Amino acid sequence: MTTKETIISKSPYKPIPVKIKEYVRETADSFTIKLDWKLKHEPGQFVFCSLPGIGEAPISICSYDDKSIELNIREVGNVTNKLGILKEGDELLVRGPYGTSYPMARFKGKNIVIIGGGCGVAPLKGSVEFLEKHREDFKDIYLFFGFRTPEDTLFRKKMDIWKEKFNMHITFDKVESKSTVCYDGTEGFVTQKVQEIINDNDDTVVFICGPPIMIEKTAEILLNKGFEEEDIYISAERLMYCGMGKCGRCMIHGRYTCLDGAVFRYDELKDYKDD
Amino acid sequence: MRQYLLQKSKFNDFISKVMDNNDVIAPVEAKKEKLVSKSFFKKINSAEEISVKKKTYHPVKSFFFDPKEVLFKFDGNKIIDAKISLKTRVFFGVRRCDLNGIYHQDIVFLDEKTQVDPYYKARRDASILIGYHCKSGDDYCFCNSFELKDFFDLMFYEKDNTYGIEVGSEKGQKFISNFQEFFDETENAITDADKIIKNKKKLKTTDIKDKYDSKDWEKGADKCLACGACNFLCPNCHCFTIEDDINFDLKTGERIRKPASCQLKHFTRVAGDHIFRDNKLARFKHRIYHQIQYFKDRHDIVFCTGCGRCIEGCPARIDWVDDIINKM
Repeated sequence: MTTKETIISKSPYKPIPVKIKEYVRETADSFTIKLDWKLKHEPGQFVFCSLPGIGEAPISICSYDDKSIELNIREVGNVTNKLGILKEGDELLVRGPYGTSYPMARFKGKNIVIIGGGCGVAPLKGSVEFLEKHREDFKDIYLFFGFRTPEDTLFRKKMDIWKEKFNMHITFDKVESKSTVCYDGTEGFVTQKVQEIINDNDDTVVFICGPPIMIEKTAEILLNKGFEEEDIYISAERLMYCGMGKCGRCMIHGRYTCLDGAVFRYDELKDYKDD
Repeated sequence: MRQYLLQKSKFNDFISKVMDNNDVIAPVEAKKEKLVSKSFFKKINSAEEISVKKKTYHPVKSFFFDPKEVLFKFDGNKIIDAKISLKTRVFFGVRRCDLNGIYHQDIVFLDEKTQVDPYYKARRDASILIGYHCKSGDDYCFCNSFELKDFFDLMFYEKDNTYGIEVGSEKGQKFISNFQEFFDETENAITDADKIIKNKKKLKTTDIKDKYDSKDWEKGADKCLACGACNFLCPNCHCFTIEDDINFDLKTGERIRKPASCQLKHFTRVAGDHIFRDNKLARFKHRIYHQIQYFKDRHDIVFCTGCGRCIEGCPARIDWVDDIINKM
């Protein structure tokens, strides 16, 4: 028998090139790109972005639109720093979508509370846009967003629109007196605002995304107010390479962040947040 | 399943005939001058090289899960498909622990619900697995602690002057018919008594769900050097890293996949330098929980196959079976 050659043309690891339609610098260390990519997806899912020779990184989708995809990216690593210097019209490689989503349709008729911290606001933007489109299906909607300083505020234009539509509160960890940005929010942690405003846990579902410590503290406050663990949804973040439950890197106590998450119900993950 | 007999005197002729058209990969004893007197899986050049006396030091997984798998090549943003060139490979002398290791890898890499991994599949499709039944394990084996499956294309059982052969798949049956001049069909040659493997070691329980906070784990973590040898010697461990290898022209290169070890600190390091499993204890527990519990929770089968290589190969001699779990 001679040697058999298999050409791997259908590979789940193979990305496709897409063009950047729009590039917006949001803050000193983050930017939003709109991609020319028609992709069916749900709020909370993520995609892999890569640049040949640099590597691949999982990025959450921050829009809810079938015609194009928006990604908000913070420049923290090799791939994201390199993505940051691209321009409109440039190409990058993508594959996806992966992961679970916020089960929006299941919560029709309920009150929704959305709490985001820092770049954790990005994955939640898709679900807020979903609520905008289907506003009449839901009862009261509360949005809480916390940023480090007014300069770090993401999606300013959107925030102005949401302020009118929803019960929205923005907090800043620190406001410098020399701050030159026009802002609309209060100084303090987002947890304080949640403590102050949310009192009614009746028929209410909460989505939280942000740094682990913020998720923990916010969940603690909500549980003290009588919320059920099953009504709180959180997003986890881990290192991942495949998105298909094979590379094993994103495992949190036996659960794959890429398959079973990134959106988890609080009771699935509460004991193992540090694992 | 059908059974056959092969005269031991015909064995070398049989292997030589197989080698005419296929690569034969079998355990070969390391040369005397090597310090480690172990055997290794290797492509053989003659049937005399085969030695099934000892369990190999490494599992067969590297023949299926390439240490440097090219996922695709790139030229700028242009993607060039990867090619895998293989002759049909006949694996001979694979023990039950390693065969079950392959079975577990199949669960992960050939799962249609998540995605079939085409690289693994190509290597797997080009392989015929011929097992060798070891009647008793070495000092480290504890395979009887788990319910290992009958997973093979053919299985060889040693009888006095013959090998009793059990067919385990259609692929195995087809292989037999290709070489039928060597085999005599038989019935009831292999009994349940032939399938026993004697072990010196036993893992007393596979239910460690409530033991996550036990102090006993520290006994292992304190000694652990975090070298990752256990991962690389394990027939099941399949975690990997994907990275880009770029050429000097800074334009062309390839995206590669290589094995990773959960015992190393950077295993969970994300951009911004946060490490989720920062301490050795969490990493040590993660490996054992993945082996004993996590995989069972997801697929209803214990991941560990009890080959004992992680204990044998551990430079700190951590015996997580006898010294940790059995004493909890």
